[in-house]
Amino acid sequence: MKNTIINLKNITKRFKVGDGEFTALNNINLNFQKGEFAGFVGPSGSGKTTLLNIIGSLDSPSEGQALVMGKDVAKLSHRESADLRNYHIGFIFQVYNLLPVYTVYENVEFALLLQNHTKAERHKMVMEALDWVGLTDLADKKPDRISGGEGQRVAIARAMVKRPEILIADEPTANLDAENAHIILKMMKRLNDELNTTFLFSTHDEKVMQYMERIVHLRDGEVEKDSIIVAEKDK
Amino acid sequence: MKLALQLAYKNLIGAGLRTWLNVAVLSFAFVIIIFFNGLMDGWNQQAKTDTIAWEIGFGHLRNDAYDPFDPFTLQDGHGKLPNTIENVSPVLIQQGTIYPEGRMVSVLLKGIETSQTVLEIPTDAFIKSTAKIPAIIGNRMAKSANLKVGDEVLLRWRDKNGTFDASNITIVSIFDTTVAGVDAGQIWLPLQTLWEITGLQNEATIAIANKNFVDASLDGWNFENRAVMLKNLDEIIEMKKISSSIMYLLLLAIALLAIFDTQVLSIFRRQKEIGTYIALGMTRAQVVKLFTIEGSLYSILAMIAGCIYGVPLFIYLGKTGIGMPQASQDMGISLADKIYPIVGVQLIVTTILLVTISATIVSFLPAKKISKMNPVLALKGKLQ
Repeated sequence: MKNTIINLKNITKRFKVGDGEFTALNNINLNFQKGEFAGFVGPSGSGKTTLLNIIGSLDSPSEGQALVMGKDVAKLSHRESADLRNYHIGFIFQVYNLLPVYTVYENVEFALLLQNHTKAERHKMVMEALDWVGLTDLADKKPDRISGGEGQRVAIARAMVKRPEILIADEPTANLDAENAHIILKMMKRLNDELNTTFLFSTHDEKVMQYMERIVHLRDGEVEKDSIIVAEKDK
Repeated sequence: MKLALQLAYKNLIGAGLRTWLNVAVLSFAFVIIIFFNGLMDGWNQQAKTDTIAWEIGFGHLRNDAYDPFDPFTLQDGHGKLPNTIENVSPVLIQQGTIYPEGRMVSVLLKGIETSQTVLEIPTDAFIKSTAKIPAIIGNRMAKSANLKVGDEVLLRWRDKNGTFDASNITIVSIFDTTVAGVDAGQIWLPLQTLWEITGLQNEATIAIANKNFVDASLDGWNFENRAVMLKNLDEIIEMKKISSSIMYLLLLAIALLAIFDTQVLSIFRRQKEIGTYIALGMTRAQVVKLFTIEGSLYSILAMIAGCIYGVPLFIYLGKTGIGMPQASQDMGISLADKIYPIVGVQLIVTTILLVTISATIVSFLPAKKISKMNPVLALKGKLQ
């Protein structure tokens, strides 16, 4: 049985631009259930990344309430929002954001270091995560020694190793060729099925949209359309 | 803390050449600071030891009318020591003139007991000598007057009545000392002889105390113990330390500036990394701590690097000493041909604390900017 883990109520986000203000999100109301595989789709400036940042507790709304795992992100202290990200949310970035001085293994292990696991536990979990993305052979390589596709797979392993409830992927295939993009997306879908993690994407890549079970179309900071693809397919 | 140390260490090692350049400069600062302080401490100890052995003994009992910094007091600054006084070696100081090779050289005549052992002055040479008026001089005096052992030189002096008299003296020994205060412009004579030629029988200007001397109030005499007499020396060394510290503080400032610069550049260049740390669940305070520790780790690495080449260097210098140029021997305080640096635990601990705390502070100053960073902008690598 699915339950709501993200509840966005009347979310509005404004940024100061010079003397004026720019409204990036305007009165957004959305709910996401555990295990959803959903994407925010829209042109540049439509508010996709801003919405993901609020859900990821990296930013807070100007108005409205964003409840993530039952916690109001606007009311969290620095430590509480760090804990929320540390234990419940994984991030995948467009340019992977791997830590350059660490090996693939250490990059994946990093997320666990913040959770006080023992070394043996960390080793087991890291190798399992690398196995999910098929990179156990590259564990000792530095990020500058692996390809872009492999780099993004490391980022997925890093995001998934702590088994978060929510995984946020901001344009995860933007820097990948078509073949690698499909590999990455299939991998994420498999993890979504196996681990029941909620995946939220921002994208304007058609390839990504094919895999979505739900697509939220954003335009000028507002929800233009919210489509449940699986439900339509089921019909 | 352990995690921050692990991460900071990895980040530093991963930064490669930039890290090692900073470490090299900082370790150089470490070694130079310790070296100069060690040199000063070595000099201080050598100067004190030599000054005690050659000049001060366990303190001086001075005639009230005598001021060692005023040559005009020599004429009247002497008197008979009380019979009750024990454990001192009297010294009578008078003015005189010698005429080596036809030149006229003013000297201080110092009469000392031939049997004294409290000072290193080789007075046993008087006993062995058969000369009418045997005299002992130091290297500096011998050099300036062009005198050597066996030479006779004309000495003129005034007796207690102010009458000039003159006689040849024979140089029976030339001693080598680092203490200019018993050497430059001075001629040592047997006390008995000086008494006889000046008519100042049983009189003394000062009396050198030995270890058994007990200070008691004596009318007309004033006792200055060893600590008081060394005060001037301490002050001179302290002043020299301060002047040399300017150099090593400049060096330290350069090293700290390099760390500060690296930190500022690092925080500017690694904004995405900072954003990633925060996205992965680190608090801003943890990231500030990480960057601060990275900066202070420079000092730890510098300490290790400094040990690798500094310890053998200090051991070597501690054994062989550092040669001092001949010209520097004539400066105001005792300076040996060689100075052996003393690198003590206190010096090392103080230097480590000074450098580590300074490095931590200059690392924290730019790092605290992270606490105000917007993680979203940091992830985009936007300048904040």
